[in-house]
Amino acid sequence: MDEERFRSASNRRTNSTQQRRAGTVGPALEIDHVTKRYDDAPVVKDLSFTVQPGRVTGFLGPNGAGKSTTMKILLDLASADQGTAMIGGTRYRDLQDPARKVGVALEPNAFHPGRSGRNHLRVLADGGGFSPARVHELLSLVGLAEAANRRVGAYSMGMRQRLSLAAALLGDPPVLVLDEPGNGLDPQGIRDLRALLRERAANGDTIFVSSHLLSEVEHLADDVVVLNKGRLVASGPLAELQRDETLVRTPSRTNLIEVLQSAGGTVESRDENALLVRGLSIDKIGHRAHRAGIELHELSPHSGSLEELFMGWTDATNVDTTSEDAREVRSA
Amino acid sequence: MTSLRLVRAELRKVSTTKMPWAFLAVIATISGITAIAVILGTDADGSKAFISTAADQKSLMAFAYNGLIIAGLFGAIAVAREYGHDTVVPTFLIEPRRHRAVLAQFAALMLSGAFLGFVGTALSMGTVAIALTATDYSFMLSVGDTTQLLAASSFAAAIGALLGAGIGTLVRNTGGAVAALVLVLLIAPPLVVQLVSDAISWVPGYLANVASGVIGFDDVGMAAALIAMAAWAALPAMIGLFVARRRDVV
Repeated sequence: MDEERFRSASNRRTNSTQQRRAGTVGPALEIDHVTKRYDDAPVVKDLSFTVQPGRVTGFLGPNGAGKSTTMKILLDLASADQGTAMIGGTRYRDLQDPARKVGVALEPNAFHPGRSGRNHLRVLADGGGFSPARVHELLSLVGLAEAANRRVGAYSMGMRQRLSLAAALLGDPPVLVLDEPGNGLDPQGIRDLRALLRERAANGDTIFVSSHLLSEVEHLADDVVVLNKGRLVASGPLAELQRDETLVRTPSRTNLIEVLQSAGGTVESRDENALLVRGLSIDKIGHRAHRAGIELHELSPHSGSLEELFMGWTDATNVDTTSEDAREVRSA
Repeated sequence: MTSLRLVRAELRKVSTTKMPWAFLAVIATISGITAIAVILGTDADGSKAFISTAADQKSLMAFAYNGLIIAGLFGAIAVAREYGHDTVVPTFLIEPRRHRAVLAQFAALMLSGAFLGFVGTALSMGTVAIALTATDYSFMLSVGDTTQLLAASSFAAAIGALLGAGIGTLVRNTGGAVAALVLVLLIAPPLVVQLVSDAISWVPGYLANVASGVIGFDDVGMAAALIAMAAWAALPAMIGLFVARRRDVV
């Protein structure tokens, strides 16, 4: 994207949004005990979490974890077998003028390859009641003004992502639900996307972003929600979760692993005598080790990278973590 | 107001791809073939009796059944590709009360179908009128005949588009939707007629010809023909509408 143009357009948007929504924040997104099965195979299992306004929430999980399905249930594109998904206490289908309330970009991008980028947005603008000037404004915002009349089929993946983002922003909505918005973007595009989302969150918008780019989420997100095999394995402020690790050194490694796992912790071996423990507070770890008569050489807080945390949350040895365990991770 | 916005969006969808041009090219080709037949064709006895009366010329230029089939294919492909390209997703996000979105899509495709039917007849009339100057016969259709042919083909093509759209909504795969439409319009009717001979008066081709006024009203009246044609389309459209309301878009 053309940074100067992007900033300029972004600032215009900010001013208009601030005027329109002075003193207001976007609605929270509430997923409450949602379960979804396809062909009797559970894809999402008793999932509950809340996405808060004024924050960027990263939605993480391996392929097939149920992220896209959860987003589709939130947007009433798929129905839940159990549970509810609400946007500010209202189902998506009951929102009045939803295009002005929620901006959406889902994977895979939904474009007719023979239609131009401009016409794609004009179709959406017609349906949502937005002016042609808004289409032009957004094409400039995402740096597609020059390519606007080209067929989308000839666009690169990054250009499609930008068009998808423009579509999501058409109604200048206070909620953004974006599925892998950084895929295919060049470094400048990712930086601009991050700036845009941070700015909107600072204005009180609700930003819910799924991504595989952990380093990007680490830079972008205030909160994370992590799924594995359809279950919630962690959620909460990223900074707190990153502090939710304890490094333990012990000569009785095997015994300590057994003790801590039976207490509900997840344990990752770091080297011959060191273990990284999640899901248990440092006090509990010390207490359990003491009760089991296990000698400790080190017991210290450890801040892990999101990648380390993610691998721990979604490691095959820990995938059977229940929602109760997940809540323990949050509260430990 | 919302419904008008949705219809407008659907019309823009239809008009911003090359598909309408492809169908107009097909229609122009059919009209050209008809004109060539007028210039070069003869009856078995070597005469040009097939263009010698107003009734013959009306029958030659009746485009309602062609319009029904062509617009049916148009509707089926347009809707099936919506699902194939996932462009139905933003539509359902803008209007999550899906019955409204689907009805707007049906309405836009019926308007598009009517346009194709109208253009098909107008082109057919135009090319035949020009071709007739190369023969010993003049253009004999009255204003009433001309109006009836234009109205009948517009109506039949609108109904065809609705039929195709209904099938496309149910099948969602372009090849499957086209195959289903061919089955409904071209394969099933003769089979049904073989089983129940009286059914011949109620198959789409016959009904389209009644609407065009090229078959008498002895067994099926004009109103009955129009209603029956609408019923052919309404059934898959209603089932499609019902199914689309709660089906997961995945």
